[in-house]
Parts: sequence; C-alpha cells; structure tokens
Amino acid sequence: MGTKNALTKKAQFKQFVILPAALFIFWIVLSGKTDFKNLVIGLIAACLIPWLCRSVLCLQATTTPGKSYAAFDLPYGKIFVYLLWLFWELVKANIEVALIVLNPKMPINPQVRTFKKTLDHPVAQTVLAKSIILTPGTITIDVEDHVYTIHALTEGAALALAPEEGEGEMPARVGRLFNEEAEVK
Amino acid sequence: MKTLALIFLLSGFFFITVAALGVIRFPDFYTRLHAAGKGDTLGIALFVIGLAIHNGFNLVSFKLLLIVLFIFLANPIGGHVLSRAAFKSGLKPWTRKGE
Amino acid sequence: MVSDQLLLVFLVALVFIVFLMLYRVLKGPTVFDRLNGLGVIGTDAILILILIGFLEKRVDMYIDIAISYGILGFISLVVIAKYFDGKGDVDQ
Repeated sequence: MGTKNALTKKAQFKQFVILPAALFIFWIVLSGKTDFKNLVIGLIAACLIPWLCRSVLCLQATTTPGKSYAAFDLPYGKIFVYLLWLFWELVKANIEVALIVLNPKMPINPQVRTFKKTLDHPVAQTVLAKSIILTPGTITIDVEDHVYTIHALTEGAALALAPEEGEGEMPARVGRLFNEEAEVK
Repeated sequence: MKTLALIFLLSGFFFITVAALGVIRFPDFYTRLHAAGKGDTLGIALFVIGLAIHNGFNLVSFKLLLIVLFIFLANPIGGHVLSRAAFKSGLKPWTRKGE
Repeated sequence: MVSDQLLLVFLVALVFIVFLMLYRVLKGPTVFDRLNGLGVIGTDAILILILIGFLEKRVDMYIDIAISYGILGFISLVVIAKYFDGKGDVDQ
C-alpha cells in the first residue's frame, strides 16, 4: 500500500460500509433463501471480497499526482438526481433516433468533434463518457488525456455537446456532480 | 396497473424495433452504433419494467429491476468499447460530403 | 390485459428481430458491424428468455439464466472488442 495510496479515513470507512452492504443485498436477492446458513456464508463473502479487492478499489487521480479516490465513495444523492435527468435525456434521444430512422430520406450529417474537459476523479470521466452515449445524437469514440472524441449524428447534436466556445450542459453537470464534493473535503 | 404494464411493454417494443431497423438502415458503423446503443438500452429497460409491473411485487420483479440496472450500465460500455476499437483500426466515419 | 397470447406475439416478433440482426451479422461489411449485431442479439436474447419463462410459468428459474446470459454476453463482447483493438479488418 504505502503512502501513494493514502485514502482519507472517512472515505475508507464509507467505502467499507457501503460495498459489503450492497454485496450482501445482492447475495440475498440472487439466492432467494433467508435461512441461517446462507445468510452467514453471504455475510462472510460480502465482507471478505472488498478487503481482498482493496488495491483495485483505490483509484489514482488523473491530474493531481499522489492523490487517490475510493471507488465507491461517491455523492449518491446527487447521482440519483443525475440519473433521473439522464433517463429523461435518454427518452429524448430515442425519440430523435426513431424520427430519423423512420424518415425515408434519413436526414443525417455525421461528424466527428473533439472537446476538452478536465475531470480529476476517474469515476467522473467514466460517468461523462457513458452519459454522452445516452444523450441525443452523440457517442463517445475515445477519451485520451481529457480530450473526448465524439461522433455526432447531426450538426445540432455536436454543437449542443461541444459548442464553439464555452462548454455544453452535460460536461458542466458532471463537473458540478464531482468537483464540488472534492472541494468540500 | 394492467394498462400501465401494457403501455410500458408496447413502448419498449417500439424502441427495440426502431433500434433493429436503425441497425439495418443506417449507412455506416458509427451511425449504426447510435441506434444500437440508445434504442436497445431504453427499449429493453422499458420492456423489462413492463414485465415487472405485470408480474407484481415479489422477488422475481426485484431481479427484473436488477436486469434493468445491469443493461443501463453495460450497454453503453459495450458500444463505447466497439467504437473505440473501430476508430483505432482506422475505420473512417461516413460523411454526407463524401458521397 | 396482458395475456399469454400477447406475450407469445412479443416472443415471435423478438425472434423475427433476431433474424433481422442475423442479416447484419452475416453481411458485415466490417467485423465491428458483425459484433454490433451480435451485441443486439445478445440483449434481445435476455428478453426472449424472460418471455419463455413467463409462458412456461417458471420465471424464477429462467430469470437466473437470463441474468447469467446477459453478463456473459457483455463480458465476451468487451473481450472480443479488446482483441480487435487497433487491428480489425476495416476494408469496406
């Protein structure tokens, strides 16, 4: 472990409460049995697995060297609100794709754009790249050194995500989702 | 409740069909990924939620919701991994000018 | 309102969609198109399994099969895409 992977005590504690609890619930749902033997085996496994995987669960920060984050120490309340917004965006995206597919002329003008957004938390990068796929008319092709290469179905979709100046709504939202949390600590 | 389940099932099936049609109709690989990545995610999520409502409140419905969560997390990753592999292989996106 | 007949109709339609995707898998033109078609088939197969479970009145068994099928399909898609990373055949 060493000093390189120094997590704060609070983050570590939070991680080692949330993850076993989630795993234990997952065990109960999948097994469907609630007798004593099954529960004890599940509890032991749910506590042992996070401990065995502790080095994987410690994520290196992408910009500040020597800093690391706990993989499951996330702002869950804000993520839930964000997921609801994302689901609504997904519905809009689908209606848009459906209109394009069912249109015999197929009004598309595909293009590739890049934009830059610096996010320190590795999970934040993942969330942004995944959200881009689910939003109207764009998919992520590549992420390298904070530069996102996106493929857009129409020009309007490309400009909504990566305008000529400033930043789109989605990168700003993901930034707010994670960066505020980092400043509070 | 029954009507709600029916609405979810029909709308989910509509989006699955649109995704399949898109995969057949679109001109190149990246545009096909748009149909597969978005249409399938929402379509299957709505369809399985409809089945869960039809099934009522028990362990099976909980497992169905688990499938929805899994699809919601896994399907975009699958699309992204494919598009990244294609881009690194040098597959050029189709454009309207090139026609 | 949601009867067994309706579920059977959905099942048949899904099988038809799988055959449509099979056209994309066989036609190509690139290996990534084929993989994309296979991914769609994999996710539709989850639904087909659940629907068979409802029709046979044994959902509790078929749903476990569906979950494992979904996870296996996702993992194999990622592994194959990693294998073709940067060296897929992209001739049109």
